[in-house]
Order: sequence, then structure tokens, then C-alpha cells
Amino acid sequence: MVYGRAALAFLLVAVTAGLTVQARGQTTSATALREVTDETGRVVRLPTQIGRIVSLAPSSTETVYALGLQDKLVGDTEYCDYPPDAAKKHKVGGAINPNMEEIAALRPDVVLVVKSLNRLETVRALEQLGIPVYSTDPHSVIGVIESMKRLSEVLGAGDAGAKLERTLRERLAAIQTKLKDGTPKRVFFVVWTEPLQSIGKKTFIADLLTYSGATSVVESQQDWPKFSLEEAVRLQPEYLVFASSHSDNVKNDVETLAVKPGWSAMEAIKRRKIAVVSDAINRPGPRIVDAVEELARQIHPEVFGEKN
Amino acid sequence: MERGAPDGSRMNADVRLSVEQVSYAYSPNPSQAPIFTLEATSFQVKPGEIVGVLGPNASGKSTVLRLIAGALQPLSGRILLNGAETHLMEPRARAQKIAMVQQESQLLFPAKVWEFVLQGRHPHGKSLRFENDDDVVIATHALRQVGADHLTDRWMDEISGGEKQRVILARALAQQPVLLLLDEPTLHLDIGAQVDFLHTLKKLTAVNRYAVVIVTHELNLAGEYADQVALMQKGKCLRVGTPASVYQRDLLEQVFQTRLMVEQRVNGRPKVSVLESSE
Amino acid sequence: MQPLTLSKVAVRCGILALILFVVVVVALKFGAVPVSLYGLAKDLIGVLIGRSSNISSEYGMIIREIRLPRIALGIFVGASLSVAGTSFQALLRNPLADPYVLGVSYGAAVGSVLALIIEPHLALQPEIAAVFTPLGGFIGATLTIAAVYLLGRYHGDIDSKTLLLSGVIVGSFFSAMILLLITMLPSSSTRGVVYWLMGDLSTPMPPILGWVLRTGFFAGFALIYLTASDLNLLLAGEKEAMHLGVDVKKVQLVVYLAASALTGLAVSVSGSIGYVGLIVPHVMRMIFGTDYRMLLPASAFGGAIAVVIADTMARTVAAPSELGVGAVTAIAGAPLFIYLLRRRLA
Repeated sequence: MVYGRAALAFLLVAVTAGLTVQARGQTTSATALREVTDETGRVVRLPTQIGRIVSLAPSSTETVYALGLQDKLVGDTEYCDYPPDAAKKHKVGGAINPNMEEIAALRPDVVLVVKSLNRLETVRALEQLGIPVYSTDPHSVIGVIESMKRLSEVLGAGDAGAKLERTLRERLAAIQTKLKDGTPKRVFFVVWTEPLQSIGKKTFIADLLTYSGATSVVESQQDWPKFSLEEAVRLQPEYLVFASSHSDNVKNDVETLAVKPGWSAMEAIKRRKIAVVSDAINRPGPRIVDAVEELARQIHPEVFGEKN
Repeated sequence: MERGAPDGSRMNADVRLSVEQVSYAYSPNPSQAPIFTLEATSFQVKPGEIVGVLGPNASGKSTVLRLIAGALQPLSGRILLNGAETHLMEPRARAQKIAMVQQESQLLFPAKVWEFVLQGRHPHGKSLRFENDDDVVIATHALRQVGADHLTDRWMDEISGGEKQRVILARALAQQPVLLLLDEPTLHLDIGAQVDFLHTLKKLTAVNRYAVVIVTHELNLAGEYADQVALMQKGKCLRVGTPASVYQRDLLEQVFQTRLMVEQRVNGRPKVSVLESSE
Repeated sequence: MQPLTLSKVAVRCGILALILFVVVVVALKFGAVPVSLYGLAKDLIGVLIGRSSNISSEYGMIIREIRLPRIALGIFVGASLSVAGTSFQALLRNPLADPYVLGVSYGAAVGSVLALIIEPHLALQPEIAAVFTPLGGFIGATLTIAAVYLLGRYHGDIDSKTLLLSGVIVGSFFSAMILLLITMLPSSSTRGVVYWLMGDLSTPMPPILGWVLRTGFFAGFALIYLTASDLNLLLAGEKEAMHLGVDVKKVQLVVYLAASALTGLAVSVSGSIGYVGLIVPHVMRMIFGTDYRMLLPASAFGGAIAVVIADTMARTVAAPSELGVGAVTAIAGAPLFIYLLRRRLA
């Protein structure tokens, strides 16, 4: 009996307290708005004129620069390091855990995210604050090019976007022409060595490999499958591909691997058939064609007139 | 053999606690046979009277006490306190009438003596309560009655065993009970402290007219201070009566499995001594 | 003999509330946007009266929409965890008990991770999608509470020793399941889960969740506080408490359910912030003694103060990056715990 009355009293206090501390969402003033649908299917309301951009993904930052819109980029993440000028922009934190206050203080017209990198909670939190969020979600090389083109239109730089698309498609076509008579090399893309981890068939990187004249020996539906070393040795890929900004480190790591049991049985290790691609391969942005080319040169040296 | 099994007709207003043909069985799980049984046991306690429940280990003494306290439900028979069955009483109401003095569990966090004794006021009043002036008066009085008021501000884990037992008794008195139950209260005390404790208990019982049931295996102390004793062995209550009448040599030797000598002293109280095998 | 009185409790709580208020004001000052205390005061008054402030809208918006809700979240999460820890220490008669010892947080984690896994495959309305993960967490917590209770009974009744065993076993089972589930997550979600598991207040959430947390806290606290006198007696021992008129089984059940619910709510919205539920009760005990009529509200305030301070440090020490608040409580909490242990033994 006492329980009931006291509990009721506290519930009343709680409800009142809860209602008064309610935060109210604030609507922006009457700017001209338009609706677009982003690549995750969300409907986004954006100002017609985009003056201030915040990017929460390194690839989006690179795209902004490639479209010549860097003056409108008011903030990016700590990992946005390319081009070098991007490192000088105001930092809002990491891609996974950006600082809401920093973003809000910059008063962006749009925040750029990538579905495979950023968190849905971040998107929702920004929307709740009345900040528009545009998400890209490319899954293939051509997808990346088309995504950048769409983004250029959203950001009001359609001409620059068209030019970028044309250039990239031409370079890609040129590489395809060079490779058309060769056979694709069987490669193993190494995401991590201990445990051994590679990429699945449906990933963007797997698609990119095909443009470089390579095919991944890993048949997996998962995105980042763990792979057994034994199986990798049995498949005897012709090349091991690493993504790193420091190719010397990779060479050292390979020397270490060469003396380990299991690894030493792999032909690609024994003959040092290693390809190192810059981490542009991990960024679905303007440098993917660079990555395609870089990889193609290393695994098809004869076609590109290089010495291995 | 005195069993004094009362029925309704013999219930008189002078009897406060009536244990009537109470039996109990305990089994660890329902499918197993009971591993301990208490057979029909009966005795009565009047206000101002101390009844000792005696016997060797595993004779059922503690079970009897817990049945009286209402913590267990009798298999058959009933236990009436002023006419009400103890295990049917609501816990709060029961704690206003019955107080238990037993070996204390280790305190989890340090507590002062007065805090400890004030806990005895808990059964009176609402579930969530703050102690009032009356509570303080009653608790202070209880400490004084057991001769422990000089310990009021000390920490419970700092005082001696004998002092602690007094404080536990004070907490029980603070409950203002009509029935006091004590479970081997003198177990860890030296002989001086034992005598002190029982002497105080006897005095308070007379002054405050408690009905007291005390479980012990100390034959001589029970013989000295109890008005009645109930002698138990292996779950059976063998005899109830005054110490002089229950302390018969053959009976005691059979129960305690050792050679004994019983002397009747001048004051009517028996004294039991252990014999060497050569004597 | 100076027994605790209601007015003593009220006065001490008033002092603690004042300390909390000061901590909140200081916390409001820190952040990406520098704010003057004067401007802060004006804005706070504006919020309390319910009128919008006249300060430049961006500062006001940041204070109202981001900082203040985050601090409010910290207050209620900290208070919930501390009260739960204090309660479990009495329920289980174990000074090492914390809110997570009965497995609730692991169950909540499993629920949240499962929600993260299946959400993309469901076509949910936006309002539901926004609260889907915390909802999964709370369902996981509820199922864990039920499972631990059912397994932790002895002869059909709640029993503190069996409950502890049951909680530890269920907790370790779910803990292993979480690791397994994480490998099934798409990689981008994995990183988010790690933050959540460590304890994270940085993600603003829909107001309805904040409301549920606040209401749940007050209701749970009220239920537990009503047993405060009984808990004092329970500390002296279950048998002794029973003989003093405490309905031990009922009190244990109420405290178990309410404290577990408080933990489940807190963990569903913020992940498992560690050490708060373990250390704050002990610190408050050192200051105010072990009477639960004072200790329970003191722990609530203490927990709120601790989490607000920890969260403020989490978002300022490495700005603009954020540490998880769970990282700060662990870094500060572990040495503090060692210190407390040594004091007790000294």
C-alpha cells in the first residue's frame, strides 16, 4: 500500500521532469530547399545552394577536392589526409565517432557520409539536429565513378563532375585495352595476416581487381572472410596483393613471413611475387583508377613495359 | 513420563506459549525420504518462565526453536502464542511478539552498537521508517537493562564476545517481545560470561514477564537457571519437567552416552558431573 | 545515539544536488564551442522557463540540442548504475557486486548486436528504426533478468547465493555469444559495437529514449528506496532480518527486478560503462555510512556526478576526437578501486 502511493508520486514527478527537459528540434530558417534521394534510398532535404560542406569519409573528401569544391569544405575527419591540403581543414573527429558539437558549430549545408564506413547512429543524430546528410554507397569501380558524378550534381558542380567521369572512364578503357589479350592473374588480396583475412566476391575491391587484370582466388560471400592458410597455400595464387601507403614496410613484413611455416610453402612468397597498392584502393573515390593502374603495372609488367 | 500434552480444555490464560504435539520432517528434495524428523513434541511456557531445550547435537533442539519462531511450518500439531499459530502470523506482527537471539552472521559493513540495537525497533511502524524519540528511549533502556549502555558508541566488531551477546540480547529486548527465543547464546563464551548472561536473562525475564525458550547443551547452566527443561534425543522429546525431575542419572547417561553423576543440591537444583571410567 | 532522520537525509541530498548543479554548469562550459558562463546562465534560465533564448541560435542550439541532453543522459545513466550497484551489494551480500554481475549488461549487448544484425533486413518505419537497437538491448536485458531469476531460484524462491552463481554463468555465456555475433556483423557496424560495449554517451538519441530512461530511473529508485530499512537489516543477515519482521523473499525479488531494470535501461542506451556502479557506492559509504536510507540517494547523486565528470573529460581531453566515457571511468576507476581496497585493509 505504501509502495503504491509512493511509487505513484514518484511517477508523477518523473513524468513532469521528463516533459520539461524535453529538447525541441529546431527547424532551419526559410532557405530554398530541394529534395534528393541518396544512394541508401533516403530522401534528403538540402539547400539549393550548397555553400558549406562537412565530409565524414576520406573518399568523400578526395571527391570534393577532385570536383574543385575544396573552398566549400569547412570540416573533415582526422583520417582525411589526401590531398595534403585536406589535412589542414578543421577536424571534427573520427569517421566512426565524430564530434556532434564540432559539426553543428560549422553550420554545414550538407554532411557527406559513406554507408560502408560511417555509422547509422551518426546519420540519425545529425538528422535530429536538422543537419542534412547525404550518403554514397558504391559497390563497384563503375559504381564509384557514377556515384561521384551524382554527388557532383547534388553539390552543384555538375560540369566538373562530368569532366571527372569522362577522364576516369577514358583511363579505365585504356587500361582495359592494354590488358585485353592477357589472361587474368590469380591473386590473393591480403587484408590481414594474423589471422589471414581477405576480401569477398561481392566487395568493391574484388571488382577493382578485375579491372587490373586479376581475379581473387577467394570465393566467399562474406565481405571480410577469414581464410585458412592451408587453403591459401593450396590455391597457390600467383600474386599476393597488399594495400599500404608504405611499401617498404610491406617488403619487410614479407621477409618475416617468408621464414614462417605455411607461408614459406607459398610460391608467391618464395618468388616474392608481391604487389603493393597504395591505400587508395580502400577509398571509393577519385583515385581508384590510380589504384587500378598501379596494380595492373605490378602484376602485368610485360604489358606496361616495366621490369618486375 | 511427563508429556503434558494439553488440549483446548486445559488451555488456561496463564500459558503464553503452547507447543502442542508438533512434529516436523525435512528432506533436501521432494523425491527423497526425510532425513530428519521431529516427533510429536509438547510443552508449555508461562510468562516469567524459562524453559530450556536440551540434548546432544542433532537432537532436534534448533528445529523446535525455529518451529516456535514461525520460520518452519509444522508437519502436524500446532504452536500457539497467546492463542495464535506462530507460522501463520504475518512476519512484521510476529516480530513484534517474538524475538530471537542467535549466533550472529558476520556483519557485511561496520556498524555501531546503537545502530544494531535500533534495528530491534524495525517491526514496529511502517516498512520504510525513520526512528523517532520513542525508539531511541526504548533502545537506550534495552541497553541499560542488559548492562551494556557503556558500549553504546562502540563498533560491533570491536567489542568482546560476551559484550556482543549482551548487545544482541538488547536488540531482542528492543523489539518489546512477549516471547524470547535463544539459540545456544552462550556457545562461545567463557564460564564467567556465561553465568553473567544467564543471570541477567533470568532477572529480566522476571521483571519484564517474558516467556523464554532457550536451546542449550550446557546441562548445569540449564539446571541452574531454567524453570523447566525439555530433554531431546534424536528428534524425540523424552521428558519435560523441572530440572530436578528430568535430570535422572540413567536417563541422562542414555541420552548423552557418557558416565555421569547427578547430585541434588540444597537449593533444589541438580548438578551433573562427568565420571572417569575408573570412578 | 543519533539515528538518521528524514531531514538529515534531505539536507545532505540538497548539498549533493548543489554539487551536481555546479558540475553540470562546468560541464556545459566545455565543448567544441566556447561558451561564456554569463551566456550559459542566460540560456539555462531560458530553457528552465521553457522559452527559447535570445543568444545566437547556433550556441543555443548546441547547448539545448547536444550538450544538455548529453549531460542529462550522463546524469541518469550514472544515477541508475550507482543505485543498481548499491542495491546488488546488499542483495547479494557482497561488496564486490556491481550492476553487471548478474549478467544483465551482456544480455543487453547480445540484444543490441542482434538488432544491429537484423535491422537491415527489415523494412522499418523511421521512428521505430531509430530506437531499434536500444529496444533490442532492453529486450535482451529483460530476457536475461528472467533467465537469471528462474535459474537462480532455490526451492522455488529467490536465493542470493544461487542468484549470484546463475548471473555469473548466464553473463559469461552471453559474453561469449557477443564475440561470436560480432564476427557476423558487417565490418562498419563492428566498430560502432566496440564503442557501445565500452560505454558511450556521444551519440544523441531520440527524445523518447531519454524520457523512458528518466521515468524508469525514478520509478525504479522509488521501489528500491521503499525497501531501504529492510535492506539495512538484510545486511545484518537473512535469518536475522526474517526474525525482525522483514519479508526477505519479497524484498529480494523487488530489489532484484528494480535494480536489474535500472541496469538494463542504462546499458541499452549507453553501453556498459564500468566501475561507476562498483566504486561510487563504496565512496558514498565512506562519506555517509552504510545506512541505505541515506546511501541510496547519495549513490544516485554520486553516480550522476561521476559520469558527468568522466564524460566531460572524455569529450575534451583529446578533442576533437572522443574517448569513450567507459575508457575514462576505467582509467580513473581502477586506481581508485585499488586505493579503496587498501584503505579497508589498513
